[in-house]
Amino acid sequence: MPAPIIAARDVSKSFFGNPVLRDVSIALVPGRIHALLGENGAGKSTLINLLSGALPSDRGTIEIDGKAVAALTPAAARNAGIAVVQQELSLTSSLSIAENIGLGAYPRRYGFIDYGALARRAKAVCDMVGLDESLSRPVGDLPLGRRQMVEIAKALFREPRVLILDEPTSSLSAHEADTLTRLLVKLREAGTAVLYISHRLNEVMRLCDHVTVLKDGVVTADQSLAGTDADGLVRLMVGRDPGDLFPSWTATPETETIVSVEGFSSGPLKDIDLTIRRGEVLGIGGLVGQGQEDLLLGLYGALPASARRASFDGVPGIPASVPKANALGLAYVPADRKREGLHLIHTIAWNMMLPQFGRARGLSLRNRGKEKALALDLADHLGIKGDLTRQVQALSGGNQQKVALAKWMPSDPSILLLNDPTRGVDVETKREIYILLRRFASEGKAVVLSSSDTPELVHLCDRVAVMREGKLAATLDRDGLSEEAIVAAAMGAEEAAQAA
Amino acid sequence: MSHTPDTRSQRLYWPVQMQRNRGVRGLFVVVAAFLALYVYLFPGLFSIGGVSKFAQSWFPLALVSMSQAILMLTGGISLSIGATVSLGAVIAATTMTGPLGVVGGIAAVAVAGLGIGAISGAIVVRLKLPAIVVTLAASFIIGGAALLILPRPGGAIPIWFSDLLAGNTPAALILLIVTALLWKLYLATPLGLSLYASGENPVGAYRGGVPVDRSLIAAYAISGLLAAAAGLFVAAQTGSGDPVIGTAFTLNSIAAAVLGGVGFLGGRGTMRGAIAGSLLLSVMINVMFFLGFPPVAQYVAQGLIIIGAVALPEITGRRGPR
Amino acid sequence: MSATESETTRFPPRRISALLRNRAFLTFIIVALVWVVAGFAKPGFGSFGHLRYLLELAAVIGLVAIGQTFVVIAGGIDLSVGAIVTVSAVGVPLVADLGDPTGTVPVLIVLAAASGIGLLNGLGVAYLRVHPMIMTLAMATFLQGVLILVAGGSAVSAQNPLLHWFGNARPIGIPAGVYLWVVVSAITLVVLHATPFGARIFAIGANPLATALSGVNTRTTTMAVYAIGGLTAGLAGVLLLGMNGQGYVGIGDPYLLASIAAVVLGGTSILGGSGTYAGTIPGAILLVTITALITVVNASPGWRSILFGSLILALLLFSGRESRGR
Repeated sequence: MPAPIIAARDVSKSFFGNPVLRDVSIALVPGRIHALLGENGAGKSTLINLLSGALPSDRGTIEIDGKAVAALTPAAARNAGIAVVQQELSLTSSLSIAENIGLGAYPRRYGFIDYGALARRAKAVCDMVGLDESLSRPVGDLPLGRRQMVEIAKALFREPRVLILDEPTSSLSAHEADTLTRLLVKLREAGTAVLYISHRLNEVMRLCDHVTVLKDGVVTADQSLAGTDADGLVRLMVGRDPGDLFPSWTATPETETIVSVEGFSSGPLKDIDLTIRRGEVLGIGGLVGQGQEDLLLGLYGALPASARRASFDGVPGIPASVPKANALGLAYVPADRKREGLHLIHTIAWNMMLPQFGRARGLSLRNRGKEKALALDLADHLGIKGDLTRQVQALSGGNQQKVALAKWMPSDPSILLLNDPTRGVDVETKREIYILLRRFASEGKAVVLSSSDTPELVHLCDRVAVMREGKLAATLDRDGLSEEAIVAAAMGAEEAAQAA
Repeated sequence: MSHTPDTRSQRLYWPVQMQRNRGVRGLFVVVAAFLALYVYLFPGLFSIGGVSKFAQSWFPLALVSMSQAILMLTGGISLSIGATVSLGAVIAATTMTGPLGVVGGIAAVAVAGLGIGAISGAIVVRLKLPAIVVTLAASFIIGGAALLILPRPGGAIPIWFSDLLAGNTPAALILLIVTALLWKLYLATPLGLSLYASGENPVGAYRGGVPVDRSLIAAYAISGLLAAAAGLFVAAQTGSGDPVIGTAFTLNSIAAAVLGGVGFLGGRGTMRGAIAGSLLLSVMINVMFFLGFPPVAQYVAQGLIIIGAVALPEITGRRGPR
Repeated sequence: MSATESETTRFPPRRISALLRNRAFLTFIIVALVWVVAGFAKPGFGSFGHLRYLLELAAVIGLVAIGQTFVVIAGGIDLSVGAIVTVSAVGVPLVADLGDPTGTVPVLIVLAAASGIGLLNGLGVAYLRVHPMIMTLAMATFLQGVLILVAGGSAVSAQNPLLHWFGNARPIGIPAGVYLWVVVSAITLVVLHATPFGARIFAIGANPLATALSGVNTRTTTMAVYAIGGLTAGLAGVLLLGMNGQGYVGIGDPYLLASIAAVVLGGTSILGGSGTYAGTIPGAILLVTITALITVVNASPGWRSILFGSLILALLLFSGRESRGR
């Protein structure tokens, strides 16, 4: 086995006395795709930050090319050929694709940016990741998936020896993810060391050679992926038998319709007919960015929408505003919980009360005792542990998502709209959310679940509406529901999927 | 082989420049319309004298608008531009007729502007204080310094220098073009272009190896230089120094930059937009003057036009709360 | 999940150390220290008459800063408060008293107008999506023009019994203006921290998008916030007129920067979403104290201005640091 380019030996890191990593070792070897798995809060991001010099370790050493580095700085890591594609994009929307790709490492000529060399080299990396947009296009024009590709191209621009990818596929379309897979295979052949972090196990099984599993800051596995199965990996991550990720449930018999829209249009959406029934989980599938979010927001009154005919719980018309939608019993859990769902600088308890603040009229007074009791109740109900006066930003992704859900519970909504609620959420919390959603449906309420995770749609939903280019491509019933059918409808492979 | 990089360079550089025009095309049309109206009202504009006079009335506003736009690109805002203009004016009026001479006076103004900008920038960037508050406090300090140098209007600018800059010459127009070209050159350097990344996404830029702090502090220094230079020009125009002459420029610079499409969140907007915004404001004032508006009505009209210009895109192309 | 955690782990009682990190409290301590030190160092500073005078001055800034605190917590900024102070100080004498001998009617009319101006700011920010800085700046420019057209350059004096009382009476030795400030401050603190409306303001300032998606009517809340900004600036204007006896164009100008400085010195984040008026109160007192001390030093106007700016900057370094994280 070739010598590792970068390796961590027994590194530990604590934040405010809480150990996040304990005696963790990892070695990134040229020509190998190395998976890093672990639940949210297991310490993956911290490990990446140590390897890229963004954080110093408390104990242990980082070795580059076999030599221990005293204090690795971001600049030293970059110079050693380590490039990181972070989850949060580092792009500048007003600069062009080429200017973004070269940022921080512009080729120079007489002190000025050498636009000729920049164009040439940016073109080369764009070809590698399959970006065919004009290099002069501002990044702000691109959809999220394409921006992620620019981000990857930016990392490749520095011709890294080590490429670290933190959940690169979470916003990619199937096609883009395929391109990325091919690219990584090529990089492996060229001798690049790749560290690949993902929550999607099948992706990891298909692509990676070696795996390191972190659980609660400790390495629980460091082994070749050959001969390992997905269940085994989950066991290593969660520390118990995965059981069934999806709860068992029985479909509610055909019940009354709670929402129906005909000829619904909102933003890029055109002429959509949709019914939502009591007691069901209705899935919304499709490739990333086909109008799923516009559909949810349009129903929720957050985007201007129109329809030939619409009825919400017996009330005709589409809610004209979010407060009106709330009054009709709708609630919405957004995909981007940090930007759209939560108030990070405010406390957990405060965040759970927000919809109540919105409903209160006039200048009534707050009842602190009642607020406390309610917050306690919600936290116990959803398994949110510890001090509720902490800021929400102190919580892990999974727990943040629980808060985003919990805040709607006191309003007792009858229609729950969820936009990719399990994105970046650990397996344990995913399961808890699934149980919650099915229980919610079994109480005769309706759940609309838009998801980029196809297994979730197949195993959790009564029906799945698949969207493509702002239209409903197909509505699949329980007996016609399979990952293949959803993907086929999403890609437009068979228009006849509806009949299947 | 040797000329290939150049043609490639043009293939990327100029398309990028064209893309940056996108946001300001509407503004250019409005400015052109106002200019046409102005020419119609005042045909005398088409003469060396007419152009010179107009450029002189526009030039200081253009400089402070650029000064403000640069700071807004960093994600901040400056409330000390007016005070810096005043300081530049009093330094010019007290040094140029003294032993330092005109060249020494220009150097003193430049050093003061760069220094003030760099120090404000360092405080904002290194000590992590919000720009609006730091520049607010700085406006008192800078304004106080101006009062110390020249407690009441006075001082002098050599007549020949005043005539050169603000006499019957198009010097102001030429200087403005040179300033704009120098900015273009600066933006073509890695440090200059980094301003956009540092302003819009400082964390991402830092991770990507951009010297964020350095690019921001450099931007503050340039901003200070431009404001002080505007003060020098104002002193040359009036022939003397006045410790409070710059006050109105703070708000006008914000107005012009915003008319020019520069955003408050950092990294959004262009210098050509800011210059066009200042031109629009300047022409507007001139047109109103020719139409016989009383000077105070300009305030009223100015307020309405600024809101209108900013709100119009919202009214015409509105979407939900996203 | 297993056992229900006790209420004390869920809502741990606040510790003394938390109080020491509380910026509002720290600002109070600074004011107290400055007063004690200055009282010993400078005879006359600590006299009741002088401190009373400082509080009276602080009341005007404090009133303007109420609206500014609301607006800043809601994530905006109000650059028109100075102009609104002028509008109401100049406006009262211009409004007919409709035969009301107490002078209450013109004051109410002017306060309504001031609130209306604030409401217009709010309309522009909430519905036209004009950036607060631009909306209020344009409003200030607009008002400045209107004021010069209506009032001209000369000072106007008011024969208004109500205002005269508020500006000069001293029940139990304390100026009526200070009583006014205390009452309005108490209302402000209740509204901000004990009502859902107050919570909505903090929500909008911290994350407007998430607030809207949580079912809060962000538009009406925003408009109410700016209307409050206009109302308290108007209140400050009439009090100023009462204290001064006359109003003139430009009388309100110093209060714009002073109100922002008081808010920030009090520990309210200029980025919105967090803060309290409890900090703005000592912030306003600190401002007038600094000004008074500088006057005592007997320096030239230039040095006074430099000292003032430097002290604000120094205090900010001490208490006002915040991450500029976005």
